Amino acid sequence: MRNALSGMERAMFWTLAFAAFAAVAAGLAARAVDRLAANYEMERGSYAIVRVVAPEGPEGVAAAEAALAQAPHVASAAPMTAGRAAAILRQWGGAEISAENMPPLHLIEIELEPSAAPALDPGGDIVAALAQGGVTADVIEAPDAASGGGVARRVRLAALWGASAFALVMAIIVLLASRGLAARRRELVTVMTDLGATRGQAVGRVADEAAMLGLYAGLAGASFAGGAGLGLMLLVIPGATLQNVAAMLAPLDFAPVIAAPIAAAIAAGAGARGAASYFHGQAARLG
Amino acid sequence: MKRQPSPELELLERGVLIRMTGVDSGYGAATVLVGVEFEARAGEVALVTGPAAAGKTTLMHVLRLALPPRSGRTVILGFDVARASPRARAGVKRRIGYVAENPVFVEQWSAFHNIAMPLRMSGKRARDYVDDVRELVDFVGLGDAADLPMEKLSGAERRRAAIARALAGKPDLILADDPTANMSPADGRRIVRLLAEMRRVGAGVVIASQDESLAECGPILRWHIDQGRVSQVDHPAPEEAEAYE
Repeated sequence: MRNALSGMERAMFWTLAFAAFAAVAAGLAARAVDRLAANYEMERGSYAIVRVVAPEGPEGVAAAEAALAQAPHVASAAPMTAGRAAAILRQWGGAEISAENMPPLHLIEIELEPSAAPALDPGGDIVAALAQGGVTADVIEAPDAASGGGVARRVRLAALWGASAFALVMAIIVLLASRGLAARRRELVTVMTDLGATRGQAVGRVADEAAMLGLYAGLAGASFAGGAGLGLMLLVIPGATLQNVAAMLAPLDFAPVIAAPIAAAIAAGAGARGAASYFHGQAARLG
Repeated sequence: MKRQPSPELELLERGVLIRMTGVDSGYGAATVLVGVEFEARAGEVALVTGPAAAGKTTLMHVLRLALPPRSGRTVILGFDVARASPRARAGVKRRIGYVAENPVFVEQWSAFHNIAMPLRMSGKRARDYVDDVRELVDFVGLGDAADLPMEKLSGAERRRAAIARALAGKPDLILADDPTANMSPADGRRIVRLLAEMRRVGAGVVIASQDESLAECGPILRWHIDQGRVSQVDHPAPEEAEAYE
């Protein structure tokens, strides 16, 4: 490739490759944000706290724990210890809180089964199951969108649209840059037109060349970005190895890497086609 | 039932490669050619002479289908230019060999590759045309310069390359716009003789130049253009034409 490109074309190649790299990097970052937000939302949605109202005292908590073992939608249940409560308060409040100073807690942390969709009202089913076990309790679930929840969904949408907008800007850069290649081929278009090439032949020749350049540049940019992303994962994720990182990846994670060369080829071809078409028009019809 | 050929094709079958009747043409608001009456036939060489800015290059642009006529009728190689589709116009262009006053080449390519371009465009493979192109290179006297990039060639060599390229596609009609510009008289005459040779293979040749003495290079039909009006000067007598054979 290096020998096939010279001067202007080489500069063009690296411009397109950089645009592809930036677009893929943005896409991968968006995908990472998307996965984090999705995981957060899943964990948030599967967490709830049962506050035991009656019977009071440790007996109430024990009865509730026994009832929860039979309750639907509940994957696991564990009474919240004073130490755990102090740790949570420390995490969100910032101040040092001692477990000895915590009042008696009548709280049980529960993890819902993944199949427990909000529409099924798992909280109501659990309260009913507790009532059958002689326990009066509230189930406090994560707030829904109307109650201030749903940030993850907004984050995921912002990541998707942000990355899409950035990729669009990069595609426009590729499109405009490839017009430079067409300008470089202006004399070829003129000669072909003078020799009787149709618009399709003259323009197609330049557009095909630009598309191939875009494809190779896109492959180069996407490979660099993919490699950088992999390297970052190995650095950031504790204990990550190539094997377990590979296992973490979903097919969708490869979408930006696969889409970038194709999009770069299309954008470069379209940009060169537009410019070459203009040059053909100028060469074909004087006056 | 057999279809009747169009009047334009009938003209071509009679050997008339170009017929312009009352043609006006120009650029923007400027009208350069006025009521042009012109004809060129297969196997003939036409020399259009006239002073600078008389309309020679504009006439060539009309003949090579780069400039549309505004009025009148222009029939080239059996097609009425005003009515031909873009595809048909491109097809006609492929049958015309054009030597521009300032020929455009792909400068990074060698002269050889530039000369071979019409053949490549027609889908021929290198092994099928390499000998033909070498022959053309020798014919125009380009020699070893054919292997140099165009940007390294002198003005005269570029013109020879332009002629070779124009002849490469074995065109039915050859147009040469001031092909002897910036050449020594001897070189200029040689170039015109080269072009005139193509009449032997049945092609029509139209040369535009300020140099009226080029008419002495062979049996050439003379036309004069001044202020956009074309007139026929004279035709060589048959015995005069034979003298050049």
